[in-house]
Amino acid sequence: MSSSKLRKNTAGDGASRRRFLQMAGVAGAGAVLPLNFAGVRLANAAGGQLRVRFGADISILDPALIFQVENQTIAGHVYNGLVQYDQATNEIIPDLATSWEISADGTVYTFTLHSGVTWHKGYGELTSDDVKFSFDRILDEATGSRYTGQLTGLEAVEAPDPTTVVFRLAEANAGFLHKVCAFNQGWIVSRKAVEEKGEAYKLDPIGTGPFVYDSWIAGNSVRLLANEDYFGGRPHVDEVVFRIIKDETAAAIALEKGEIDIFFGLQQPEVIDRLNATEGMTVLSRDASNTVNLVLNTTMPPLDDVRVRRAMIHALDRQGLIDGFFQGTKGFAHSVLTPTFQEFSDNVPTYDYNPDKARALLEEAGAVGFEFELVTVALNPYDRFPVPMVDDLNAVGIKATMRVIERGAYVQARGSGNVQSCITAVVGPPDPDSPLVTLFSTASFPPGLNTSRYDQVDDLLAAAANELDTEKRKAIYEQILQKTMEDVPVIPIFAERLFLAHSGSVEGLVQNSLFTVLTYPVSLKG
Amino acid sequence: MIGYLGRTFVQLVATLVGIVTVVFFLMRAIPGDPAIVMLGDFATESAIAALRERLGLDLPVYQQYLLFMERAITGDLGRSVVTGQPALTEIMSALPWSLSLAVAGLSVAVIVGVPLGILSAIRHGTWIDTTIMLVALIGISFPVFWVGLVAILLLSYHAGLFPALGASVGGSFWVQVHHLILPALVLGLSVAAYIARLTRSAMLEVLGQDYVRVARAMGVPENRINFRLALRNAFIPILAVIGVTFAWALGNAILVEVVFSRPGLGSTILKAILARDYQLVQAGVLILATGVVLINATLNVLYGVIDPRMRSS
Repeated sequence: MSSSKLRKNTAGDGASRRRFLQMAGVAGAGAVLPLNFAGVRLANAAGGQLRVRFGADISILDPALIFQVENQTIAGHVYNGLVQYDQATNEIIPDLATSWEISADGTVYTFTLHSGVTWHKGYGELTSDDVKFSFDRILDEATGSRYTGQLTGLEAVEAPDPTTVVFRLAEANAGFLHKVCAFNQGWIVSRKAVEEKGEAYKLDPIGTGPFVYDSWIAGNSVRLLANEDYFGGRPHVDEVVFRIIKDETAAAIALEKGEIDIFFGLQQPEVIDRLNATEGMTVLSRDASNTVNLVLNTTMPPLDDVRVRRAMIHALDRQGLIDGFFQGTKGFAHSVLTPTFQEFSDNVPTYDYNPDKARALLEEAGAVGFEFELVTVALNPYDRFPVPMVDDLNAVGIKATMRVIERGAYVQARGSGNVQSCITAVVGPPDPDSPLVTLFSTASFPPGLNTSRYDQVDDLLAAAANELDTEKRKAIYEQILQKTMEDVPVIPIFAERLFLAHSGSVEGLVQNSLFTVLTYPVSLKG
Repeated sequence: MIGYLGRTFVQLVATLVGIVTVVFFLMRAIPGDPAIVMLGDFATESAIAALRERLGLDLPVYQQYLLFMERAITGDLGRSVVTGQPALTEIMSALPWSLSLAVAGLSVAVIVGVPLGILSAIRHGTWIDTTIMLVALIGISFPVFWVGLVAILLLSYHAGLFPALGASVGGSFWVQVHHLILPALVLGLSVAAYIARLTRSAMLEVLGQDYVRVARAMGVPENRINFRLALRNAFIPILAVIGVTFAWALGNAILVEVVFSRPGLGSTILKAILARDYQLVQAGVLILATGVVLINATLNVLYGVIDPRMRSS
């Protein structure tokens, strides 16, 4: 497998760096060590404490139950998967598995594990039994996992010997590697630790990753320590402290003053402008792997008429929303796939902002002046950006109103399927099935997020899952995108963009498209 | 005294039972429950049912209530649905943050507010009075999160006197105090404005009383009138406000907590409500209510110290 070279290269880099540091350590041992014992921190050439801003507190670090980017960021430091997304390209590359084989019919996946990988805090060596345990517990209803549905079609996980894991699928699934990638259900846990800790495991995770979970001060900070025995090579920094700083302006000032090193979860346009204008600050930005969508309930007339749905997308000034409300900090959404997906295509039907055309279409459908309720969630900015959209709809003669519901109640209202519309963003890994199956498969409601009850691409989705040839599979996904943009059961409003800022002391940070930040490659300079 | 303590204890228990009961049923009246919030959008009916059963949410509400009360009496407030930690532990870890901010903030408020109010009353109608009251009006009118951000910008960013983050990760006592100063100032000054206005009007009211006029006519020195007669009488309403504000600062300093990135009871309870973390909300409200009742009891004792007439009641 060609991609395994990538791991070797990075491992090689780590090894040579370690060797270099060891030599430097020997040369300077006499002078450096006493200083270190006296409590003075070593020069930043190696080690040091990296401080990262979090916008919200952590709550749960068990991969079976995990949600929210802060939890996922910590988990990304603590755990490994069988395979992982390359942070820069989203290509799937080895992680705990050194190689894998897929049977000719696409139903059996056999992974060979790295040998000599150890669990944190003395929980022994990783074996194939831990991998089997990790996936079995996702499938076990008693676990109450959020991700059971992700493993639909997984019939059995077998561990014939300590370094071999076999997955048997009911039918071919070309996207299966995504499901065992280091994210959510793909993170591997230690059987011994989970069984021993019980309920306490939720906030006492044991992984194999580059950092060991140390401590949590509720509402204040999370501390991770470098894993000296990490199989990919020890991290460059000694510890990472995630500071919970809710207010973005306060976080920007803390970054400029050197109280933090990395600003994670940067969103507000004004704060982005401020940091861009500050000398010594680096602002990174990247397309995320989700769009934010207006989902139309096609079981409620007149939304069952494709002309009405097309009228609505023509009525919305989506570029105006991006340029005005978001000040250019979001991207244009061609479909529900963003450019970070390897299956992305912009060869799809497009709809310009055209109120006249919208009025004509409404007239044709006999739906002038119908009442439309845009239902959204009371979270910034979801409770604010729909305001100009409602104006746009009113301008073409739709009696549009907006209803904002508190988060818990919103999840329930949307899940009931009894709302005319809702705002839905499918945040997940760059697995094309993540948004496409979720939004357009009849299997995704109820329960799920296909609240438009769209039913026109089931056969195409199945064909994509069964097609093992990458190029042919891409072509099928393009057809799905074309079909869904022709029928517009879901209006993609904008493509999410991610922003991350860091000070001049940070080196080697790679921004990913997963909504998380991983500091493994980061080093601090003086 | 024993009778007084006994009464206070009964009052404490009755208040706590009442408040917890109200919170228990209110939380369950909000749409969405922990199982739905925890499992998210892809949860199957059976998964939701299984989790509800595990959390005991499948029982009738009155049974849940009895079960909760039974455990609460033994000091077991349950575990947070989300984090799996004992609810009381999580609340108690937030309490020191809230207490230190409330104590420090109120100290600032009293040290600044009371003297300004006195000065304003004594110099009633002069430019000093007008200036102090104008500043106090501004202090009351400006939202605390805005004052907080401006304070961070001026005192932390430009002057470099304090850290921008109002809470340290560990560190020595003095490091922690250094982090606390700015949030305490911001919280304290907004309350100080209120206390100054109240002190002024309470003082003026007393100064207008007949016995003050008589004292003045009898040639009692002005200082003695102001501090022995007026201030002492004015202290009752001031103390009441300080008590109420202290209770408020314990649970409602959320904006200060957000701006200065501090943990606290208010933030913890808000987070728990959003996650429908029933146990955590109940534990949080219980601790807050205990705090409020204890403060009121302390105030009752202090009233008696200041005003002998209130001792008999």
